[in-house]
Amino acid sequence: MELLEFLIFDNLIYILAIVLGVILTVAYLTYFERKVIAFMHVRMGPNRVGPRGLLQPFADVLKLLTKEIIFPKNANKFLFLIAPIITLATAFAAWAVVPFADGMVLADINAGLVYVLAMTSLGVYGVIIAGWASNSKYALLGALRSAAQIVSYEIAMGFALVGVLVAAGSLNLSEIVRGQEGGLVHWYIWPLLPLFLIYYISGVAETNRAPFDVAEGESEIVAGFHVEYSGAAFALFFLGEYANMIIISALTALMFLGGWYSPFTGDSWIAQPSIFWFLGKTSIFLYAYFWLRASLPRYRYDQIMRLGWKVFIPITIVWIFVVAVMKVYHVGPWWN
Amino acid sequence: MTKIVRYLKSLTLNEIRKGLMLTQKYFFKRKFTVRYPEEKTPKSPRFRGLHALRRYPNGEERCIACKLCEAVCPAAAITIDSDVREDGSRRTTKYEIDLFKCIYCGFCEESCPVDSIVETDIHEYHFESMGKNVMTKEQLLAVGDMYEEQIAKTKQEDAKYR
Amino acid sequence: MSPELFQQIIFYVFATFTVGSAMAVVSVKNTIYSALFLVLCFFNTAVLWLLIEAEFLAITLVLVYVGAVMVLFLFVVMMLDVKQAKASQLKQSYTKAALLIAAAMLVELLMLFGYKLSGQIPTNELIRQEQGYSNVAEVGMELFTKYVYPFEIAAVILLVAIVAAIMLTMRKRPGNKQMDASKQININPSERIRVVSMKAEKGQGEDS
Repeated sequence: MELLEFLIFDNLIYILAIVLGVILTVAYLTYFERKVIAFMHVRMGPNRVGPRGLLQPFADVLKLLTKEIIFPKNANKFLFLIAPIITLATAFAAWAVVPFADGMVLADINAGLVYVLAMTSLGVYGVIIAGWASNSKYALLGALRSAAQIVSYEIAMGFALVGVLVAAGSLNLSEIVRGQEGGLVHWYIWPLLPLFLIYYISGVAETNRAPFDVAEGESEIVAGFHVEYSGAAFALFFLGEYANMIIISALTALMFLGGWYSPFTGDSWIAQPSIFWFLGKTSIFLYAYFWLRASLPRYRYDQIMRLGWKVFIPITIVWIFVVAVMKVYHVGPWWN
Repeated sequence: MTKIVRYLKSLTLNEIRKGLMLTQKYFFKRKFTVRYPEEKTPKSPRFRGLHALRRYPNGEERCIACKLCEAVCPAAAITIDSDVREDGSRRTTKYEIDLFKCIYCGFCEESCPVDSIVETDIHEYHFESMGKNVMTKEQLLAVGDMYEEQIAKTKQEDAKYR
Repeated sequence: MSPELFQQIIFYVFATFTVGSAMAVVSVKNTIYSALFLVLCFFNTAVLWLLIEAEFLAITLVLVYVGAVMVLFLFVVMMLDVKQAKASQLKQSYTKAALLIAAAMLVELLMLFGYKLSGQIPTNELIRQEQGYSNVAEVGMELFTKYVYPFEIAAVILLVAIVAAIMLTMRKRPGNKQMDASKQININPSERIRVVSMKAEKGQGEDS
């Protein structure tokens, strides 16, 4: 009975809180995205449903849930249905190790960083299975593009994480954040600036967002891997994609911007570490996602590959050495 | 040498920064969007929308069934039948405009010798079932009665250019 | 329900899945299913490893094999358009080699059981580490001290394999119109466009 109680009261509630939080955030993220992009296009964005369009996400969700799920002819029904579930499940699973504040973490495991990397890289299965099970050439092409892209950028991402790992000396996300205590200058963004940029850009590529969204390039392959999806199944893909975006932003905030620590030093209330700092930093990167989408045209596929393999990977390898040297010689305010 | 400089320059992401700054600048600009049902763009008095049949101030319908509009209509959208009324004047018994055929060219309005058939500036209308797209004489007269003031006003405004 | 029993249940559930999916890998006729079952098998193995507190290895298994290797496998299988194998095909050619490998593995397993029975490996309970024991650090220490030479040699062999694979597949076909992205990106506008200033022309047939 003790075990059951432990499972329910210590874990299930946290899990529910995180999942519901993520789903709500995703809902409003879509609203936020449409507003931000509209503003950059000098438009208004959604403003009809509810005051200032604030109920728009619910209208969208209701619409998607009440629509029919159409199965293409000769599609593999089981795989067709399980693909969006895989996408969503991996996107949610990664949240297990994210520390929202000091000690506010569901599973404080030692290999947290690798776990997150593993979970985000699993998302590609949803895409690949969806593409194959749809029995459509556009879907298959989109899936293949996406698979190659995600696997390529995972390497650059992994190397960037190695830099963080060298800097912090731990794979535990909470430990990594604790290594950055002490205000703005102690954050890892300064010694790891190239890795920070590469991690974030690879994150954008890994989540298949603009300008790296060739997996669903409308002008070339209609909508890529999810052409054949409609209704709730499509909604799950959508949810998974946005949950992945949030997790990439959250991880960037944790690893490079000192997570829950305040940029200020001193004893005033503003210098206190809290979950709000973490959420604020995460929102910056979420905004950057939309900012990039509104600003940059889509990359050509060979340029994406070139960027990943010929630019990012060499830079990360060089910078890992630089970080190692800095760490050995106790450079700066970070390692003395 | 220039290649190396160019490579190093590309690492600063300067061009991407420029692009981002541009979009950020537009983020704060005043929005041009017209919030449609509440706000509307100004319409020219010449705007050609839904048709209407007008009456004289004493209530007599203007149309004398000359059938010029029927003849001039390039889309053959107008159908007119006429007969002699009790008082001996020639009047239409049937005046129908198929709004699906109509191309809103305004020729009917221009051809009319008594300014009977006009196009109002109403453009927000819809039909809810098949067949409703054919406007009957009664409907056209009703539209004319309802918007007579406005029709008169726009015609007055446009008169000096005719 | 005691934690031990719970652990046992988890073990047996996932062990069954592991064995079942491993058998499905070789018995299913569709190549894609086969690859997907292999993914499932890796997953369940990772869970079993988690049960013996080898969380770093378990996650690495998922990251490397499921997240990267199997994706490429699927990628290749989807690209190749492999026909579904027929039953008659299965019985040919590879049977002898497969039997040999199976026999070798059977012998290994039997030897393991033999060791267990003779008590050379502790069997009654798993070795539990105290709280705060870092699997990651321990693996790293072992790899870079005791096993540093095998580790480095393996790394060099893999590097050679990567370079060799790239060398083998890199070829320029005649008539290939592939563009060089770096060349395109590194274009200087001033080398290509000449801005010419011209006098405004008079309009034709107009009085201006």
